[in-house]
Amino acid sequence: MITGTGIVKTFKQRGKVLGAREVQALRGVDFAIPKGGAASFIGESGCGKTTLGRIIAGLETYDAGDVVIGDVPMSPLKPKQRQPHFRKIQLIHQDPYSALNPTRTVHQTLHAPLSLRAGQTGRSRAWMEERAAEVLSLVGLDPGSVLSRYPHQLSGGMRQRVVIARALTVDPEMLVADEAVSMIDVSLRLGILALLKDLRERLGVSVLFITHDVATARYIGDDGELYVIYRGQVVERGPVDTIIADPVHPYTQSLLSAIPVLHGLERPGEQPVEPLESLDESQADEGCLFARRCPFRGERCEGERPLLQLTGGVPQEHACFFPERRSVIARPMSEV
Amino acid sequence: MTKSAPGVRIDGLTVVYKTPAGELPAVRDVRLTLEPGTITGIVGESGSGKSTLALSLLNAVQPPGRISAGSVEIDGLGDVVGLRNEQLRKARGKHIGYVFQAAQNSLNPLKTVGKQLLDLGRSHGVNDLPGLVREARELLGRMGLDGARVLDSHQHELSGGMRQRVGIMLALVLNAHLVVLDEPTTALDMITQANILKIVREVHAERGLTTLVITHDIGVVAEVADRLAVMYGGRLVEQGPTREVLGAPRHPYTKGLIKAIPRLVGDIDEAQALPGRPPTLATVPAEGCVFRERCPLRMDVCDTVDPEARVDAGAGGPRAVACHAVTVKEHA
Amino acid sequence: MSVLLESTSTSAAMRRNFWSGVWRVMKRKPSRLVGVVLMAGFVFMGLFGPLFYADPLPRDPSMLTRPPSWEHWLGTDDQGRDVIALVVTGSRYVLLAALVTAVITVVLGTAIGLFSGFKRGRWDTVLMRLTDMKLTIPGLPLLLVLSTVWKFNSAVQMGLVLGLLSWGGVARAVRAQTLSLRERGFIEAARGLGLSTTHIVGKELLPSMAPYIAMNMLIAITGGVYSQVGLFFLGVLPYESNNWGQMLNTAVFRSGALTVPSALGFLLGPLLAILLLTLAIVLVIDAMDEIFNPRLREE
Repeated sequence: MITGTGIVKTFKQRGKVLGAREVQALRGVDFAIPKGGAASFIGESGCGKTTLGRIIAGLETYDAGDVVIGDVPMSPLKPKQRQPHFRKIQLIHQDPYSALNPTRTVHQTLHAPLSLRAGQTGRSRAWMEERAAEVLSLVGLDPGSVLSRYPHQLSGGMRQRVVIARALTVDPEMLVADEAVSMIDVSLRLGILALLKDLRERLGVSVLFITHDVATARYIGDDGELYVIYRGQVVERGPVDTIIADPVHPYTQSLLSAIPVLHGLERPGEQPVEPLESLDESQADEGCLFARRCPFRGERCEGERPLLQLTGGVPQEHACFFPERRSVIARPMSEV
Repeated sequence: MTKSAPGVRIDGLTVVYKTPAGELPAVRDVRLTLEPGTITGIVGESGSGKSTLALSLLNAVQPPGRISAGSVEIDGLGDVVGLRNEQLRKARGKHIGYVFQAAQNSLNPLKTVGKQLLDLGRSHGVNDLPGLVREARELLGRMGLDGARVLDSHQHELSGGMRQRVGIMLALVLNAHLVVLDEPTTALDMITQANILKIVREVHAERGLTTLVITHDIGVVAEVADRLAVMYGGRLVEQGPTREVLGAPRHPYTKGLIKAIPRLVGDIDEAQALPGRPPTLATVPAEGCVFRERCPLRMDVCDTVDPEARVDAGAGGPRAVACHAVTVKEHA
Repeated sequence: MSVLLESTSTSAAMRRNFWSGVWRVMKRKPSRLVGVVLMAGFVFMGLFGPLFYADPLPRDPSMLTRPPSWEHWLGTDDQGRDVIALVVTGSRYVLLAALVTAVITVVLGTAIGLFSGFKRGRWDTVLMRLTDMKLTIPGLPLLLVLSTVWKFNSAVQMGLVLGLLSWGGVARAVRAQTLSLRERGFIEAARGLGLSTTHIVGKELLPSMAPYIAMNMLIAITGGVYSQVGLFFLGVLPYESNNWGQMLNTAVFRSGALTVPSALGFLLGPLLAILLLTLAIVLVIDAMDEIFNPRLREE
């Protein structure tokens, strides 16, 4: 179980002489990802989802709140002491091209973390070889043909599998996949998503999936939770299928409306929502963060910030004063 | 100056790249017609040859690549393959506008957008530079940007979506009526993507353009294109009206590609990745069907004979598919 | 291509791969082979050259400052010694000093740059201010001052001083490289996996910068040659042993090689040696990038 409470992160932009500006990347985010569970963070670029993923993987610090891994809170620990805990959470980078060292073979890449582990547990070299082959098989690669290769000799999909295999060498409890398929050929994306789902089922690894494409989030597991993040705040949270089928926050609705419709195969939703303007992070922080862009804003939205809660008789938590179901997503032609 | 949307006829186009293993075709024997005033989408994975095809339209394939056969006839320009340096340079920009991949790196980071616009104008011998700036500002305004502010900005001050719109502006400002958009929405998030696609559709209609969109994402084509062409391993394997192709794909690759798109509703297990991986320049089979390694309908003939594209007149326009299995089934 | 490799033999196989790759890179452009042969020639000259000649070199009072001839290919100096013999015997000091310069420059520069870029924070600030200070000290005037108190009798001393004066640029450049590399996914992944700093710096960062460092090393060698030859040429250092700079000085100022044609060989000897050494280095640098980049190595 990995939980976060009230996580706040502010980036200070060192700006033109006096114009040092602060950007609130995260404004008090709570999350809980059960052991073996799945969760997805979705939102536009710049919404803070990647920062949150990096905080959870221990690659970024936070200013307030706490991350709890198992039942150990991270804040009181010194950086050195946190390390073994954060090691249980492995980040899968978006770009499989930069995530592997071009000067090292797959064998070398896998061996570094394995020998560390062997050193800690007193295991033999033979165990390392065995384990390297095992993790490669787990991600669907043939160890015999892949081990001696350099990254540039592998396709994007294979590289991403090697990256996942490398993460598995330390027996992680959770994989954080940050846009893990966006740079992979379309015909192979589903394979990587299926692999993540499969690892969940077979190894009990939880998966945190970070993406702007809501449709892919389903494929990690339909039992997962979806967090819709906007300007550092979770604006809607609930089971994946519930939110996709019946989103109530206008921001979630605009995200879902923006997914291309396969005309000819699908019929667009009847009430698509389009934001009034595009994202501008320098907008004022008073009231609802989405108010300026929201086609349904009311007077209350300008002065008061709605908080994430269960109200309005819907099954998911949301941060909107005027939650309303709208039919926004495209549906197959066959389904009338 | 009023121009009408030009038509484009690509015939037998083959582009080869020189490699240590000899000259390998990146695009092979492609035949494609862009009707005046339509939006055509070309879909393909990495290595499918879609970007090379787009560059051929400007006769801008860079060495070690070269157009080795075929023709690209553009109304008002003639066969582009025969054009040489100066004529070509003039044609780019004035007749053909090219929007580079998500406009990420196509802007000069050291110059403001306005300066780059003036450079563009000067290199094309535009005398009325203030008029050009006015036109640019109008275009940017049309796309929902503050023209004056954007022209004064450097690349790094613009978001991905804004850069993309600047790219479209630069492609259109010289009054080109044939526009090529290469991966217009890669690296943009969904809301920005939807916004850009809407702009592409609207500007296309308002200015009377012929538009070609190159992408790996079927969803993008589905949103904007009238006609859809699917490329694989340098071959055009299927083409036709977008809705017809998506509704009833015929080539096994098109079918597989559509099936591999994660959807919002429906059974999760229905979506499936294609087995195998797309071929690269070096691994494209020299003879036979390029898709056979990943094909569920593979037959003996696929190993040796490259399937011809068979054209049918359909309700919404001609459809073509290059697959032995489809041919056999229809004749049975 | 997928050969089933026994994992234990992978590293041996990779080493074999590396050398066959190096060979392929060399073969692709014959000029690179020329560079390597020249380089080997200079190494041989520095190591064993002086053994072939008597010490001190024989003088021929009847052959003072002669132009090139069959007997003396590059002529003789003002004491009747063979110019080629002088170049060969003088090479040891020059090359050794240059090598020491380069090693110190690169080791110090890389270490400081890596540490600074990887640790960031306070250490970075302190070290970089130090580097900047070092960079602002003008090298040649300082050397001139130093030479009044120190006679640089041994090549190692010379190299040491030149090395300590020239690591600044490398440190800056390596730091910049480190800063950009540490943001790359694979470095971050290594940190996330809990790999030691030694591993990250030694096995992930350094190999990625190897071509760059090697290139700097070679450039530092030329730099070392130029500075000390320059010093001797200016005549600020006393005549102690054979040295290319010393030869140039004598040729120009004592034998008037710029006006007297018969002393031309005397001038050309050391110049030719410097030219060939620079050429060798440039050609080897050309091969360097491909050798260290596994992708380029194979193509």
